[in-house]
Amino acid sequence: MDNLIKVQDMCKIYNPGENEVRALDHVNLEIERGEFVAIIGHSGSGKSTLMNMLGCLDVPTSGSYYLNGKDVSAMKDNQLSEIRNQEIGFIFQGFNLIANLTAIENVELPLIYRGIGRSQRHKLAKEALIRVGLEKRIGHKPSEMSGGQQQRVAIARAIAAKPPVILADEPTGNLDSASTEEIMGILKGLHEAGRSVILITHDNEIAEQAKRVVRILDGKIVEDYYNAEKKAQEA
Amino acid sequence: MGNIIEYIKMAFKNITANKGRSFLTMLGIIIGISSVIMVMAVGDGTANAMNAEVQDLGSGQINVYCSDNAANAQEWITPEDLMALKENVEGVDGATPNDGSSGTTITGKGEFSITLSGGTEDLQKSLNFMIKRGAYFTAADVEEGNRVCVISDSDAKRLFGSDDVVGMDIEVTIGPITGSYRIVGVTQQKENTSFISYTYEGMPVSLEVPYTSFETFGWESDSFYSVVVFANDQASGEEVVRDIIHTLETRHRCAGEDYFQIQSFQDMLSEMNNILAIVTTFISCVAAISLIVGGIGVMNIMLVSVTERTREIGIRKSLGAKTSSILLQFLAEAAILTIMGGIIGILLGLLGAFGACNLMSASMGSAISPGIKASTILGATLFSCGIGVFFGIYPARKAAKLSPIEALRRN
Repeated sequence: MDNLIKVQDMCKIYNPGENEVRALDHVNLEIERGEFVAIIGHSGSGKSTLMNMLGCLDVPTSGSYYLNGKDVSAMKDNQLSEIRNQEIGFIFQGFNLIANLTAIENVELPLIYRGIGRSQRHKLAKEALIRVGLEKRIGHKPSEMSGGQQQRVAIARAIAAKPPVILADEPTGNLDSASTEEIMGILKGLHEAGRSVILITHDNEIAEQAKRVVRILDGKIVEDYYNAEKKAQEA
Repeated sequence: MGNIIEYIKMAFKNITANKGRSFLTMLGIIIGISSVIMVMAVGDGTANAMNAEVQDLGSGQINVYCSDNAANAQEWITPEDLMALKENVEGVDGATPNDGSSGTTITGKGEFSITLSGGTEDLQKSLNFMIKRGAYFTAADVEEGNRVCVISDSDAKRLFGSDDVVGMDIEVTIGPITGSYRIVGVTQQKENTSFISYTYEGMPVSLEVPYTSFETFGWESDSFYSVVVFANDQASGEEVVRDIIHTLETRHRCAGEDYFQIQSFQDMLSEMNNILAIVTTFISCVAAISLIVGGIGVMNIMLVSVTERTREIGIRKSLGAKTSSILLQFLAEAAILTIMGGIIGILLGLLGAFGACNLMSASMGSAISPGIKASTILGATLFSCGIGVFFGIYPARKAAKLSPIEALRRN
């Protein structure tokens, strides 16, 4: 079986020409199903660009990207939308919930775009909200919830359609430490339940909670290790 | 596109989330649609009322004239022509000369000017008056040139102070000659309506007399410049007109000379209706301009909405919304706004039309009810929907084309 994610020789160049910026410089990366990977880097390191590529929000300038066996590097906008809908569950730093929709309506959004019927949609969304412990908040709007709760709604939205990849971009960046712990707990739980989780962060402490760490600097991968192995070495 | 209901629901959510703004957006459409509906309903209502009254005045009446060509050739319509028209043309019920003269009469109430309408007994078909007393003059009166006349009750009262005048004589002076007419019938004068005045202040007394009686005053009564032909309701107007011309041309052996011209009541009526329709259309066009302005308002607000909701669009796209999904969502929003505006506009327009018609009825003294046609309402609805879609396309495309990364980056 193919890798879940297989990035080969991927480059992303902004402003090609004199002032070009190589945000990604010949990146190679493979991620297996069921892994819990943290991609870590400073701002400007290219981790956001990599996240956009992995999340099929953008296409690389060169190189290839296979997601779940599909070559997505040459896809058009609408095909990318479909891939995002079916393969990826996004969790963003700023939660990115739609303000005038209730928790369950927010969770149902990707299911609507997938064309799932109303009752099935409702069932899946409710399951996901129960999974993140928000069954009592399904009718609440984002403004009526705390940051941690909003991020849990976002997680529910990411997992409701059961996509193969959960892509979390600084999911705890806007949260206090208690909520951070809560969210990381949920992500770990998802990983333990067999989901593939990719976490993008600048925070070493957060990255240490993942199984594998990929460090990116100036558009290149400079480190790629398993936390357990590293700890063993250090010990 | 099975999701279209979902997009419509989303659109509704957004509209209800911003009620005040949605209403203001609709306002232009509301004003535009309501004014178009109102103008058209009042216009149609006026036309209906006018048509009903004018139909009542004389439908099926066809005026036949001799043209200048005929006058040059000294060809006139003769009593024999009239007989031929009545006998040979299918659908013709009667024919009468349309001869007239004016004179004066003196009674105990003073001196009055008087107009005489000379015709055959068929003249009574022209103004479907009710005979109140006595009877209309007869074919025999026409044949013998009897000086008998029919007068309206209101004129009788002016002349004699009473309408019980059958059997009385009126001395009519035309030029140097005075002749006496015996009253054989009294008709009931019709009330004036909004569009037709049967009487007016200082109107001469009007008598209907056999055309042959004019011989008393020294002129021949065997050729006429204009006659009136009465077609019955079943006859097709165009066919009757064609047959009349054909019969006359055959009798005068003047086919193609264009001697005889026709003006039917239907022609006059449709001319009047045309003028009214032009006025209505013109006013509607002016009102329609406000619809376009309203449409631009919708476009404007939708553009603001796209800018405001850029992040939302980014979120939706990142979750898998395709370009077409976003396009449909925003188009649905514009369409719903304008359709709602359209419906409110239709209701207000109808209300306004009823109000205006009531006012007009009260001031003109006859009932005008607004002419509400399903086609007008359907047209207005479709038009407002069309405006929504048309003016929604630009903002919706702008929204749909946003790149998810760009859109997510904005606050």
